[in-house]
Amino acid sequence: MIQSIPEALNLILTVEGLLVLSIGTMLGIILGALPGIGSTVAVAMILPFTLTMSQAPAILLLLAIYAGSVYGGSISAILINTPGTPQSAATCLDGYPMAQRGEAGQALGWATVASVIGGMTSAIVLILAAPQLAAFALNFGPIETFALILLGLTCIVSVSEGSLLKGLIAGFLGIFLSTVGGDPITGEARFTFGQFQLIAGFNLLAVVIGVFALSEVLTRAASLSQDEQSLIEFNGMVLPRLSQWKGRLRGLFKSVVIGNGIGILPGTGAATAAFISYAEARRSAPTRSNFGKGEPDGLIASESANNAVTGGALVPTMALGIPGDAITAVMLATLTLHGVTPGVRLMTDNPVLMAAIFSGFFVINIMLLPLGMLVSRLAAPILRIREAYMLVMICLLCTVGVYFVRGNPFDLLVMAIAGIIGFILRRHGYPMAPLVIGMVLGPTLEISLRQGLIITDGSFAAFFVGHPIAVVLVLAAIGMLCLPLLRALKHR
Amino acid sequence: MSALLSERRCVSIVILLLIVGLVLSTFGLQFADLGGAFSPMFFPRIVLGMLLVLAALNLVLDATTPSPDNPIQLRPVLLIGVSLMAYVLLLVPLGYFISSVMLGIVVLLALGLRQPLQIMLIPVVAAGAIVVLFNHVMKMPLPTSPFTWWI
Repeated sequence: MIQSIPEALNLILTVEGLLVLSIGTMLGIILGALPGIGSTVAVAMILPFTLTMSQAPAILLLLAIYAGSVYGGSISAILINTPGTPQSAATCLDGYPMAQRGEAGQALGWATVASVIGGMTSAIVLILAAPQLAAFALNFGPIETFALILLGLTCIVSVSEGSLLKGLIAGFLGIFLSTVGGDPITGEARFTFGQFQLIAGFNLLAVVIGVFALSEVLTRAASLSQDEQSLIEFNGMVLPRLSQWKGRLRGLFKSVVIGNGIGILPGTGAATAAFISYAEARRSAPTRSNFGKGEPDGLIASESANNAVTGGALVPTMALGIPGDAITAVMLATLTLHGVTPGVRLMTDNPVLMAAIFSGFFVINIMLLPLGMLVSRLAAPILRIREAYMLVMICLLCTVGVYFVRGNPFDLLVMAIAGIIGFILRRHGYPMAPLVIGMVLGPTLEISLRQGLIITDGSFAAFFVGHPIAVVLVLAAIGMLCLPLLRALKHR
Repeated sequence: MSALLSERRCVSIVILLLIVGLVLSTFGLQFADLGGAFSPMFFPRIVLGMLLVLAALNLVLDATTPSPDNPIQLRPVLLIGVSLMAYVLLLVPLGYFISSVMLGIVVLLALGLRQPLQIMLIPVVAAGAIVVLFNHVMKMPLPTSPFTWWI
């Protein structure tokens, strides 16, 4: 894949390529800055508009929105003490006190530089680690693939905030929804109940937009306040001078390592990375007594770690087809919608596309610095927009997005029903990320299990004989499932 | 609603009943009898079986633990939910612009806005901008109204 990078750069460093990356990054920063939208909703909202684009620009646009939105969350965290994305929650702790002191520009400067460094290192990790992992996974047959998907599904455990049981129900519901429609082996219709529109199954995009974006609209309508946000005075970003980095590089390095490491682990997420990194910096930094009162080291820790997660999280997604969280699940859905089959052969079958994605991701992170400076000034007044207007726009854009995929009104109905059911389930503690993970991984899980059983004459016991990789993967999956139980026992 | 039959418990019961119904439906469907992993119902039955166990456990857990008090503003949610359903059903017959303006007005009213100018202007501008962008700039036609060809 590394050999394909020059060819990929030719694809990216064109007027069209750079335009896609800049627009995506700017849009991501703005959407990320709007409190409550978050990276997943931002990517889900824009996804349908990429369907008329070719593969590489479409995926790069979404990656730019992803990276931009993770950074954009810091703007509202610093200026209005409300994290635009959950990943930026730790940024509030020191960013807002700095802004209250009249140092909003400096705070955004620290956050931007730390985000760029975190994002760029994670892009390098992605470029170096993903091909190695993918090369190893090339030996996988249906049995290993089944074990791998099983391991991937265990990330449901870590994305199930609140209740593991409810997370598992949502995950299995997602797998069940993926079985509706034609059987992958015999082609016979399953669970269509006479509805011919269901023969092709549920439109993944309609479900994703429904359960994330529309249910978010309903959730926010249920707890809407009419207060307008007060905005701190902000006259543009002030980048930190080189001399101000003295004594902070060690902390930055540590945060970047934490972010990348946590990013690669399925289901841990950027918010966790930001808080772990912040806690570690607070424990070890010489300035620890100033943490929480507007200390740049705190900002560096959270922002470099949450941006370092972005590339790390893409390693298992791109190399193995395992989504680590909701947003990488949406990314996998994007690949599928663009006719690219995610999985262990992704890199071998599409070397130029993957090289374009990886090098584009690096370029996006470089662009964060100038675009962050530009857009933060524009985004600041947008934070004053009334929430009700934003909710109307989300509804209208979601509809356009889903309608354009197939021009099928049935998909709109699926989206609306998914939104309402998603709202009810979320209200009662059922997380939605496992549902999407289940829907994305379900088809591969089914086909690999059934192919494996056909190979072994239906014997599940013979499944793992002579397949040591599968045994290791299943043991790892069991370990991942047992981890929260062990943790709960330890707490008692 | 009585404490015994709280909203959360009702949701758990509905999920369990739905899964029971789906499990039963797998036995009523007719397929070519290939058996084992070839059967189209092989995998769904495993998934539904797991779901059945999890949903039953969930119901037991919800029934034995007190439901958290989680009040919400029900009126805007109901209004927006119903108008969303009506919107997706009316989108094709009425066209994108008219149905979107109607949805926008209902959503803004449901969210407590009372200034008539804002309530009218925001949906018209938002839906109008989307129609111009998609129908006339990007040439990706949205459903048009039966009354006027240009919106």
